[in-house]
Amino acid sequence: MKFDVVIIGGGLAGMTAASALQGAGFRCAVISEGLSLHNVQAGGFKAAGGTMLAGDRVIGGSFDGDRLKEVSTEKLSGIPIEADNFILATGKYFSKGIVADMDKVYEPLFGLDVDFDPDRSTWFSQSFAAPQRFLQFGVKAEDGRALRGGRQVVNLFPAGEVLAGISGAQGDATESIRRSALDAVSAIRNK
Amino acid sequence: MQERNISAKNFEQCQKCSVCETVCPVMANNPDYPGPKRSGPDGERYRLKNGIFFEDSLKYCLNCKRCEVACPSGVRIADLIQQARIDYGRHTPKLRDTMLASTDQMGPLASTFAPVVNLALGLGPVKGLLDATIGLDHRRTMPKYASKTFVNWFRKHAADKQDAFQRHITYFHGCYANYNYPQLGKDFVTVMNAFGYGVHIMHGERCCGVAKIANGLIPAATRDAAVNMKLFRKSVEEGREIVTVSTTCTLTLLEEYPELLQVDNSDVKSHISLAEQFLYKALESGEIKAVWKEGYKAKAAYHCPCHQKRLGLGILTTELLGMIPGLELTELADSCCGIAGTYGFKKENYKVSQLIGRPLFDSIAAAAPEFVACECETCKWQIEMSTGVPVKNPISILAEALDLEKTAEANRQ
Repeated sequence: MKFDVVIIGGGLAGMTAASALQGAGFRCAVISEGLSLHNVQAGGFKAAGGTMLAGDRVIGGSFDGDRLKEVSTEKLSGIPIEADNFILATGKYFSKGIVADMDKVYEPLFGLDVDFDPDRSTWFSQSFAAPQRFLQFGVKAEDGRALRGGRQVVNLFPAGEVLAGISGAQGDATESIRRSALDAVSAIRNK
Repeated sequence: MQERNISAKNFEQCQKCSVCETVCPVMANNPDYPGPKRSGPDGERYRLKNGIFFEDSLKYCLNCKRCEVACPSGVRIADLIQQARIDYGRHTPKLRDTMLASTDQMGPLASTFAPVVNLALGLGPVKGLLDATIGLDHRRTMPKYASKTFVNWFRKHAADKQDAFQRHITYFHGCYANYNYPQLGKDFVTVMNAFGYGVHIMHGERCCGVAKIANGLIPAATRDAAVNMKLFRKSVEEGREIVTVSTTCTLTLLEEYPELLQVDNSDVKSHISLAEQFLYKALESGEIKAVWKEGYKAKAAYHCPCHQKRLGLGILTTELLGMIPGLELTELADSCCGIAGTYGFKKENYKVSQLIGRPLFDSIAAAAPEFVACECETCKWQIEMSTGVPVKNPISILAEALDLEKTAEANRQ
């Protein structure tokens, strides 16, 4: 199965990017574990001909050099989903876009590079209201592309909270989430 | 996926986000139902302490599993509710529930006397009597029974031709194709034969068990599951994949056996697939080829049944049907049809059942298709009764749209 763009994650970032790209004529599929909380966006996306794989989850992918070639999902076993470009909009800890272990923070789907401090004692402040450093951890990107082993994955664009430096848990990050999604859209349109 | 928990069904992963409540078709239409969050993970916290906290309102859950599709944390909400009904339910099944649930005991009986049964079940006074005595709603159109079952037809007209094929599969036909609508089974054999597969049925196949689970006949469902598992293992040993046409049977065999009946299916799970999934995979990999009829034209609308949503395979049906050149296919509103197997037949559920289906019926009226494409047999009853628009299983659509002779020829080489 092949699409122009596969968007992994159906939250604010994922649906913003998906709607914009589908509207621009790309054939898009959103793979969303659990229902998108942005129902209105999902409705518009589907009405524009977009494909929603709701309740399914990406479990891995295969790379062809510095390109992500295809992803596989839990439900469509043995039927990989190929795309020219991928957007990673899997969010932070709650949605397991990044996962914290005792000594590291990692990106579970593709093993992307994550920006974090190995010294766990610096991750959080004891003061509840203080800015929490762990909320800034996330996937490293360069030129809009995700980094893996220090090299760009040329067709994988992280967007939203999965990115380092974007966090919605403290303060209002809606605008930066939306902007990062639209940046990914421009990067794909200008390729 | 089972997360790292100490209790089953990912119960501890619930974050109380309530998104399940926004998609529950019952909660929106029946004020007596407290909804999936309260009935599932919230109620479970109390039930784990003491079974007296079990609430009778859990019976209103129609087990559509929309809550599980919506859950961002992988909590098996509907399974928690069904499990609680199994573990703590205080009601013994009524005569009506046993009759509705025992599809493979009632089936042979009804098939034997099909003309009489069909006639009787269509008569007003009979329906009134059934409503008053056992609580089968009189407004419901009863499913028709076939006087000749699929298995009888297969043994007589198809079985001895199957060994001539090079590739072979096992067909789990289920009760519906056998007793109610053998044409679906015949279409399946036609399509698979055209693609070069010999079709084999399992001697002694039992009902998947979904109706028994829904109506509280757990020991009987578990016995059936054990028989089916033995047959599946034999089929896998013989190198035959098991193919099904019913989304609900498939979900039951794959998910409910281990989750609700504690019947381990891990050794055969990857060998059971829905027909659309099996065919899509084979067509995409180039293992088989399809030649479509010239001049086939139809306008259809696809209703994705709830259990297909839970399986997550609806995309394969639309991609498969999308290969048919003359088929114009639109997708209907994402909504439950309301029947949920035996649920909508019960007098106390009829009103809610029809209310739940309303958005779907409206969507069908707006799309004005020649027919609705849908993999589920009970959705078919509900949609045909409530809208008058015929419903076709995607396999039957393939049987009509394929150039059978040319397809058979293309797959012989």
